[in-house]
Amino acid sequence: MTSLDLPAWSEPFSHPDALVRSMPLAGVSRAWAWGGSTGAGIRVGVIDSGLEVEHPRLNGRVVDSVAVRLVDGEPEIVPDDGADLYGHGTACAGIILGLAPDVELVSIRVLGADLRGKGTAFAAGLEWAIEQGIGVLNLSLSSKSEALFSVFHDLADRAYFRNVALVCAANNVPAASYPSLFSSVFSVAAHGEPDPRRVYYNPAPPVEFGAWGVDVPIAWKDGGSTVATGNSFAAPHVAGMVALIMAKHPGMTPFEVKAVLAAIADNPIRHEDG
Amino acid sequence: MVVEDDLTAALTALKAVARRSAVARNLQGGVEERLLQSIVDATASLFDAEAASIALFERDPDRLEFRVASGARGAGAIGLRVKPSEGIVGFVFSSGQALVLSDVTKDPRFDQEAAARTGYVPRSVAAVPLLDDEGTVGVLQVLDKRGSPSFSLRDMELLAIFARQATTAITATRVQRDTARLLGEVLRQLADDALTDAQVEALVSEATHDLDDRTEGPFWRLVDHAELLRGMGERETLLVAKILEVVANHEKRRPRRA
Repeated sequence: MTSLDLPAWSEPFSHPDALVRSMPLAGVSRAWAWGGSTGAGIRVGVIDSGLEVEHPRLNGRVVDSVAVRLVDGEPEIVPDDGADLYGHGTACAGIILGLAPDVELVSIRVLGADLRGKGTAFAAGLEWAIEQGIGVLNLSLSSKSEALFSVFHDLADRAYFRNVALVCAANNVPAASYPSLFSSVFSVAAHGEPDPRRVYYNPAPPVEFGAWGVDVPIAWKDGGSTVATGNSFAAPHVAGMVALIMAKHPGMTPFEVKAVLAAIADNPIRHEDG
Repeated sequence: MVVEDDLTAALTALKAVARRSAVARNLQGGVEERLLQSIVDATASLFDAEAASIALFERDPDRLEFRVASGARGAGAIGLRVKPSEGIVGFVFSSGQALVLSDVTKDPRFDQEAAARTGYVPRSVAAVPLLDDEGTVGVLQVLDKRGSPSFSLRDMELLAIFARQATTAITATRVQRDTARLLGEVLRQLADDALTDAQVEALVSEATHDLDDRTEGPFWRLVDHAELLRGMGERETLLVAKILEVVANHEKRRPRRA
């Protein structure tokens, strides 16, 4: 099937043999990484279709909502109305709160009738969120625009150097996908084990982490709920774990958080004697 | 004057290209629909699904229009229009992100209006974007996999392959549909800065101005007949071609009346 150029980003997470590591980092346990953490003090931005602030699953945790508006093609950031056009952003936020109930959520809406997922709007929303110093950004969407490659590359670097963790869902379709396949971001695909805290480190990038993304119960539009599958729903699990770690260890860099996640991952360990 | 001559030569060449393109388009009427139909048929069959359909983005007003559908329960979707800012298809189109929802009836807003119009409410939906080089042109969706409550990740990734086929088909056929745009682009590239935009537009307009009247006039009647011939055997087609050749040669030899 490889000749068909399938993305197959989730493939490694269904074959544990491919994930075997031989270097357990003994000092780093889950208890050390996030034991007792609720995500308190961390802001998590959801760059998506908006957040339904009144949704029961969001528990009143949305502290700010903005949207990108295009005026003559130029993006500007404006206050948003606290709604979610599709339910997708709310779904992601609900997953994050399920792991890290005390984070503060910021909605950055880059999808909409007038935006139609334009890469420029997405980039503008991302830039705004980085400038605000929001600690963790969940990007369960990506741009297909080759023209914006360098823009997103620059933004990914700026986030990395400012200790902003970009948690990105790898796209399930075979196409360019920015910034989700850049090396500095937390690139996430789905595994099918129904455990929100089960995480895998993939030693064969571009996708580096696997989290639950198959038949996930999610919050949806108008106070509703449904069950969904996709890398979109794997990324917020990792965003939640990143928030837990960053809340417990202030000042930790994205590089260090990645290392901690890899250290506590559920990968099988090969014990080498002698 | 050299420029004038160049423009005349360009116009002659353009007219030939435009005419051939229009003839090809006439001869291949419905090719896009047929290709898309074969893709949704194959998709529904491969996934053993109740229905599969393709919605394409159209402008003025912005909408996603279901162009083809397959499966016993899919037919009702054809012609349906949804806003890009609404529903699962709207999300997949706008975000370019593939999505599978199980138990969609739990979504209080799940295309209730659309479901009422098609008379069919699915339990599960898998939807992937149709991506070309410039962005998303539409959405391929599959409804209700038989014998399974939902679609798997693997289904989703396989579906993306079908989506790519669909996009290739659309791109190929739209090149013909957009003859004028294509001619304009080629002219601009060839001319570098030698032609102003107005000149390019004038040339393209002159080269293509009578192509829309293809149902009128004896030439287009001939094209229509040729389209019918495509359904016949090779012998009939060859015979007609020979007859036409004789007529054309006869016309060539005959001195033109004033």
